[in-house]
Amino acid sequence: MQLFLFQVLNGLGIGMIYFLLSVGLTLIFGLMRFVNFAHGAFYLVAAYLAFAIVGLTGSMVLALVIAPLAVAILAVATERLLLRHTYRMPHEAQILITFAIALLIQEVVIMQFGPLGQNVPVPQALSGVVFLGPFVYPAYRLAVVAVAAVVAVVLWIVVEKTKLGAVLRAGSESAEMVALLGINVDRVFMATFALGGALAGLAGVLAAPLRGVEPFMSAEALGIAFVVVVVGGLGTLSGALVGGLLIGLVQSIMSTLWPQGAHLMIYAAMALVILARPTGLLGRT
Amino acid sequence: MPIERRTLLKGLAAAPAALAAPPLLRHAMAQSETLDVAAVYSLSGTFANVGTLLNNGSQWAMEHYGSVLGRKINYILLDDRGDAGEAVRKVQEAMSQRGIKHIIGCTNSAIALAVQKEVNARGGIYVQMAGADESTGKDCNKANFRWPVASYSAVNATMRPLIEKFPNAKKWYTITGQYVFGDSLLTNVKDVLKEKGLQHVGNSYHSLSDREYSGYIATALASSPDVLAICNFGNQTLDVIRQAISYGMKRNTKILAIWSTGLDQFQALGPENCEGVYFGCNFWHGVDTPGGREVAAVVKAKTGDVPNYLQACGYAVAQVLVEGIKKAGTTEIAPLIKAMEGMTYEGPTGLEKIRPEDHQVIKDYYLMLGKAKSAMKDKNDFAEVIAATKAFLPPDKTGCKMA
Repeated sequence: MQLFLFQVLNGLGIGMIYFLLSVGLTLIFGLMRFVNFAHGAFYLVAAYLAFAIVGLTGSMVLALVIAPLAVAILAVATERLLLRHTYRMPHEAQILITFAIALLIQEVVIMQFGPLGQNVPVPQALSGVVFLGPFVYPAYRLAVVAVAAVVAVVLWIVVEKTKLGAVLRAGSESAEMVALLGINVDRVFMATFALGGALAGLAGVLAAPLRGVEPFMSAEALGIAFVVVVVGGLGTLSGALVGGLLIGLVQSIMSTLWPQGAHLMIYAAMALVILARPTGLLGRT
Repeated sequence: MPIERRTLLKGLAAAPAALAAPPLLRHAMAQSETLDVAAVYSLSGTFANVGTLLNNGSQWAMEHYGSVLGRKINYILLDDRGDAGEAVRKVQEAMSQRGIKHIIGCTNSAIALAVQKEVNARGGIYVQMAGADESTGKDCNKANFRWPVASYSAVNATMRPLIEKFPNAKKWYTITGQYVFGDSLLTNVKDVLKEKGLQHVGNSYHSLSDREYSGYIATALASSPDVLAICNFGNQTLDVIRQAISYGMKRNTKILAIWSTGLDQFQALGPENCEGVYFGCNFWHGVDTPGGREVAAVVKAKTGDVPNYLQACGYAVAQVLVEGIKKAGTTEIAPLIKAMEGMTYEGPTGLEKIRPEDHQVIKDYYLMLGKAKSAMKDKNDFAEVIAATKAFLPPDKTGCKMA
C-alpha cells in the first residue's frame, strides 16, 4: 500500500515535469492553431546550452536565464523567416516545415557536440534527497516540480486575468477581428511563439541534469508533449496540466502493476481519451 | 557472298551482348581490384548514437588496412535506421544486386540475429558485435562470427567477482530491457543467483522506448535490495543509473551495470554519477596490449583522443574479417571461414582467439569500479579495472549446432 502511495506521489512529480515539457506546445497551438514539431528541437537546444553554460561557468542559474532567452530568440527568428509564411497553409505543411527545422537543428547539434550523450551535473545544493515521511524523493526533482507549479500559476494568471491574455485569447478565436481593433496580430503571434520557445527552453534546461543531454532527446520530449496535449485537450493550459498529471500517474502506477506495459499504457490512456472525448479531457469542441 | 537469313539473325542476337561487353569486362576487372565490404549500422533511430561510433571504428579500421591480398577495400555503409527488417532488406539488396559477400557490423542483437540468418542463406560471411547469447548459441551458423562476449560471459564476469567481494549482498533486484539482449542478461543473472543461493527479490521490465525509470526504481527501493543489477544497454543504462542515484539508491545498494560501453558512457554520466558504481565492459583503453595500442593510434589520428568501446568494437569486427582473409589467402567464403576457425590474433584486448565450435571470439571482459573525481589521473580516468575474466560457456553447453 505504501508503495502505491509513493507511486502516486512520484506520478504527480512526473506529471508536473511532463506539463512543463508540453505547455509551450499547447500554448502555440491554442493561440495560433499552429502545430509546432520543432518544439522538441527547441528543448534540445536549451539542454545543450545548459550543458555548455554549466560546463563553462558552473552556474545552473545562469543557464536558466540565458538558455530560455536564447531559445526564445531562435523561435522568433524561425517564426519571422519561415513559419509566418505557413500560417494560412494546412497543418500538414506546418508539420513538414517544423519537422525539417527539428532535423536541421539536431544535425547541427551532432556536428557541434558529437553523437554521444553528455552529463549536466545536478546543482550541488539540490543533489541530495528529501524525506517525505517514509518516502525518499530527489531534491532536484522536487525543485523542478516547484518550478512547473509556478509556471502553471503564472501562465494561468497571464492568459486568464490580464489584458495581454485577453488579446491572446481573442487572437486565437479571430485574428481578423482583433486586427480590426487596431492590435498588431503579427506581433502578438511573434510574442506567443517566443513564449512557447522560452517554455520549451526552460523545460530543456531543467531536464538536462535529470536526463543528461544527447542529440536524439528531442524525439522523446516531443512524443510525450503530444500525448499530454492530446489527452488534456489541444490548446488549453489546464488541459496540459491535467494531461501531464494523468500520464505521469498512469506511468508511475503501472511501473508497479505491470512494468513491461507502463510505457504502452501511456498510449493506451491516450487512445481511451480520444475514443471517449475526441477533443481531449478539457478540449474545446 | 549473299548473307543468309539465319546468319543475319545470329548476328543481330549477338549484337547486344557485344555492345554490353566493355562495361561488363570493366565491372569484372574492377571487382578483382577491389573488395566490397558492407557494414550494417543504425545511423538514425533510437540507437543512432551507438551506430554512428561503431561505424566510425569499422570505417577507420578499413582505411587503416587500405587493402588486403592486393585488393583495395571498398567500405559500403548500409544504414538500417535501427530496424531489423530494414537491415535484412539492405543486406539482401547488397548481396543479390551488388554481389557483396563480406558483411560486418550491427547496432543491436535483434538486427544481428536477423542478418546472420540472411548472410548464411546467401553464402556470405558476417562478423558482428551482438550481445545476445543466441547469436553464437542456438542461432549460430557457419557464416557468423561474434567479437564481443555474449551476455552469459558479461553476467558471469561481473557478478561472480562482485559476489566474492560482497558475500553479504544476498538480495538482488534487476531492471531489464524487454528485448532479446535484456532477456538474455536476465536469464543468466537468475542462473548465477540460483547457483549461489542468492535471492532475486524482483525484476522490472521496461520497454525499448522508456526513458523514465523512477517508477521502477521506487518498486526496487521497496524491496530493499543489496544489489541493483541493470540488464539493458545504451542510453537506457545511463538513465537507470542516473535516476537510481538521484533517488538515493547508492547509499544502501550496490549498482551494477552488467553491460556498459565504458568511456563514452562514463563521460555521459560524469564522475559524480560513476563514483562507486560497478560496470561491465568489453574494452578499456587503459589496458595496455599491442592490439589495443594499434586501435589507440588509429583513433587518436582521427579524434585526437583515446578510443572508446564503440570505436574499438567497430574496429575489432573489421579486424577479425581482414585478419581472416590474410590468413586464408583468399576472399572465397568457404576457405575463409575454415581459416578463421581457431585463428588467434592481437586484438584490442590482447591475444584473442576464435573458437571453432561456435565462432565466438574468446577475450577478456572487465568488471570496473567508477572512481571519485578527485582520484582521476586524467579526464578519461573514470574507472579502474577490478577483474578481467574470460568467462565462456563450454561449447557443448551453448546450444550451437553448426550446420
